[in-house]
Amino acid sequence: MNISGVISAGYKSADGKRPPTLLVVSASVVAFAALIPVAYLLIRSIGVGSEWFDIIWRQSTAAVFGRTFLLIALVTVISVIVAVPVAWLTVKSDIPLRRVLSVASVLPLVVPSFVMATTVIEMYSPKGVLQGWLSGLGVERLPDIYGLGGATLVLVLMTYPYVLLTVRGALRRMDPALEEAARAMGYGPVHTFRSVTLPMLRPAIAGGSLLVALYTLSDFGGVALLRYQTFTSTIMIQYQSSIDRTLAAVLSLILVAIAVLLLLGEGFTRGRGAYHRSTVGAVRVSRRINIGRWRWAGAAVVGVPVLIGLVIPVAVLIHWLVRGLLNDQQLLPLLIPARNSLYISLLAAVTTVLASLPIAILSVRFKSRLSRFFERAIYIGFGLPGVVVALSLVFFGINVARPLYQSIWMLIFAFVVLFLPASVGALRSSLLQLNPRVEEAAQSLGRSQWRVIFSVTVPLVMPGALAGGAMVFLLTMKELPATLILSPIGYRTLSSSIWSAASEAFFAKTAAAALLLVLVAGVPTAYLTLRGHSDGVDETDRVDESDSQSPSETAEVAQ
Amino acid sequence: MLWRRQKIDISVQSGVTMGVAGSEAAGAASTEAGVIELQGVECSYPGSDAPAISEFNLLVKPGEFVSILGRSGAGKTTALRVVAGFERVSSGYVRVGGQLVGSSFVHVPPDQRRIGLVFQDYALFPHLTVAKNVEFGLKGLPAEERRVRIAPVLKMVGMSGYESRYVHELSGGQQQRVAIARALAPDPVALLLDEPFSNLDRQLRAALRRDIKRIVRESGATTLLVTHDREEALATSDRVAVMGENSIEQIGTPEDVYQNPASAAVAKLIGPCELIPGVFRGGVVVTEAGVFPTRVTTDIHMADGQQALALMRASELEIVLAGEEGQRTSTVEMTEFEGEFTEYSIRLDSGTLLRVRRRAADGIDVGSRVTVHTRGDAKVIVFPV
Repeated sequence: MNISGVISAGYKSADGKRPPTLLVVSASVVAFAALIPVAYLLIRSIGVGSEWFDIIWRQSTAAVFGRTFLLIALVTVISVIVAVPVAWLTVKSDIPLRRVLSVASVLPLVVPSFVMATTVIEMYSPKGVLQGWLSGLGVERLPDIYGLGGATLVLVLMTYPYVLLTVRGALRRMDPALEEAARAMGYGPVHTFRSVTLPMLRPAIAGGSLLVALYTLSDFGGVALLRYQTFTSTIMIQYQSSIDRTLAAVLSLILVAIAVLLLLGEGFTRGRGAYHRSTVGAVRVSRRINIGRWRWAGAAVVGVPVLIGLVIPVAVLIHWLVRGLLNDQQLLPLLIPARNSLYISLLAAVTTVLASLPIAILSVRFKSRLSRFFERAIYIGFGLPGVVVALSLVFFGINVARPLYQSIWMLIFAFVVLFLPASVGALRSSLLQLNPRVEEAAQSLGRSQWRVIFSVTVPLVMPGALAGGAMVFLLTMKELPATLILSPIGYRTLSSSIWSAASEAFFAKTAAAALLLVLVAGVPTAYLTLRGHSDGVDETDRVDESDSQSPSETAEVAQ
Repeated sequence: MLWRRQKIDISVQSGVTMGVAGSEAAGAASTEAGVIELQGVECSYPGSDAPAISEFNLLVKPGEFVSILGRSGAGKTTALRVVAGFERVSSGYVRVGGQLVGSSFVHVPPDQRRIGLVFQDYALFPHLTVAKNVEFGLKGLPAEERRVRIAPVLKMVGMSGYESRYVHELSGGQQQRVAIARALAPDPVALLLDEPFSNLDRQLRAALRRDIKRIVRESGATTLLVTHDREEALATSDRVAVMGENSIEQIGTPEDVYQNPASAAVAKLIGPCELIPGVFRGGVVVTEAGVFPTRVTTDIHMADGQQALALMRASELEIVLAGEEGQRTSTVEMTEFEGEFTEYSIRLDSGTLLRVRRRAADGIDVGSRVTVHTRGDAKVIVFPV
């Protein structure tokens, strides 16, 4: 037995394979790092003592609770109502412009919430563009856009693509024979959808809803501009306005608790959930259903969210830009923030993908209790709002990692923790498609496990790594709270400079920067969508795929 | 020379110091030269109670082509993976090229075993060209020499000229040739083939089988093939090892195993047949289909009056139209003309179906009453019940 064998002897995967020691060590480091924010927050809050109860039971806390949950419920329900028909129409029906609409319906994802909010205010506020058009028709005054209504609108527009992507993936994977069987038994199309399709989609809807709810919980820019106070914005205000950050820490911990509740809630709706497994082998593609004279109505159903969530916001930005250029108004400086944003996003993408490699390889190739623990540890970032991670890293930086505090690396650290799940998810699905026999072949040809990883595994999961990297890049570009809290003083990114202008209501000034941000974020999104990957958002791939043994081997083991 | 032999030595030595008694016994047994040697091997998968293979013994001599024949789930792929080093054994000894590579306390990883493995689904590297796939096992050599080394191997498998193709640009049969070239290129101690023909269609299979037999003979590689296809096992190998439940039941030349199956289970695996019950009476077996002269296989001794199973093979039986009274008769239920012969399905009174293969269509038709005999001086094999 060689030395590495002895060291990794403690780690034995479910099928008896032992991973290279270095792989286990690097995965441990990543998982440990991912746990730092929550651990540190806990340590910090325990020191608070009895103040805890006072804070939780304070009247204002309860009110914030109520408002946050109301917003989450509204946004989630409406997103599902918008997304499910759009998914069905773009996958199963023969609406005109299906391909274009199919890609476009995902693109509102690229508009950051604070940009979406400025354009929504411009369009729909009582003094907005729409009011101007409608006053000719005798409409005196539109309802106030600020508050719950506006916040819901902004968040629905930018989060319905999450549900859309998961449901679309499920629709594509679904065996059309099920629906055909129902039709053969005399069910009409509507009845079939209700009694067969919809129940099959339930796990996907639940998964997408979870993403929507978690995003809504963690959004800062959108709700702040629309003056709707949620937990996240309360924490930001607390953090920015008071010297004592204990309150912010305690509130953050409550925020974590809510996120955990949402995660548990999703697991609950998933239930026994065995039906989520798609059958192995090629999935037959079903014929598109001819919806006849409803074709154009169907296109409209898909088109309206695209219009409101993408076309109008971009049009408003272009309008501001043109007006600003014509009137020689002052625009935000572009060059340095753009460069910083690109630099940070690229750095975050590369670091996160590198960090997720050992975790993904262990969890797919060397399943064990330890690898499951690693996976769970990094999924903490999935439920953690950016503001919480950022805050605890501030505490951590000041008290423990002083040299990192106020450096770019602290910011990158936050992004890695936040976006590891997205990247691990993409890598995992790539790895699951890779036949493990290929790696075994390489090993039998004389390469050690460690060298096999570099010469075979990594080149073959490159598409997954690129997809994961693109996701992280996009998410980093749009991220606001962590960027605001952790950026070194004076370090401006696109999102932080847009935010500082927008929060002082200089909307028009943000036009060029916001357009650039949407464009740059659009590139990886288009890549992900056009890749034809059934779930562009691989975050949702965290459902446990069953192991990747070949059927023959499974049969042999079963005997 | 390309492989880190020293490492193997180190593993073996540390194995000796760790488990003294066991390895001494193993050392004594390895005097007989075997390229692949499994001795009382047991291997189980975590989570399942029963071992996938147990008390598994096999010795493959230098240059020999041995097939393991068994139904799916018998553990034959496990045996192959044990030899390759992808599974650890819980007891017994595994030797490759005379070196102890696997036991309860020694495990030499697959990359240090110098074994060429051809997977059922080939497992070629999709990101590499044919040439790069074949070169993969030649690491450590200068690029020029690698190119020189792979040329004859590619020629041997008939894939010269395909060097710069990618795997997805090849047909299934071509992919398999590349897989074999890749496994042979580093000059392995032994070649392992896991169900190499199962992914190919029928016609291609027979042609490729002959090719592989030729390639393997040319290369002189010691070969272990695993299959559930009896024709494959019988046609390709020098010796066939028939697997029962997780261990080998019989091993011998294809002719010997076919002629003298050691048990009813082996007989069923090695060729199409029916086993019908009867009573053994000094040289004959009395069954409902008739009385047949018997041939007791070498290691089975039966007593007079003992219950027996008679092995009925379609090619060893003959039927004639029932004539005189008093003989047991059966009915022809179906005939299938298959070109070179016609296969008759004979329904016995108990409901059992016998199959008889014969040439001429001589008026025996569906519905005829017939009597069953052995063809010429053929004798049936009987097994104790």
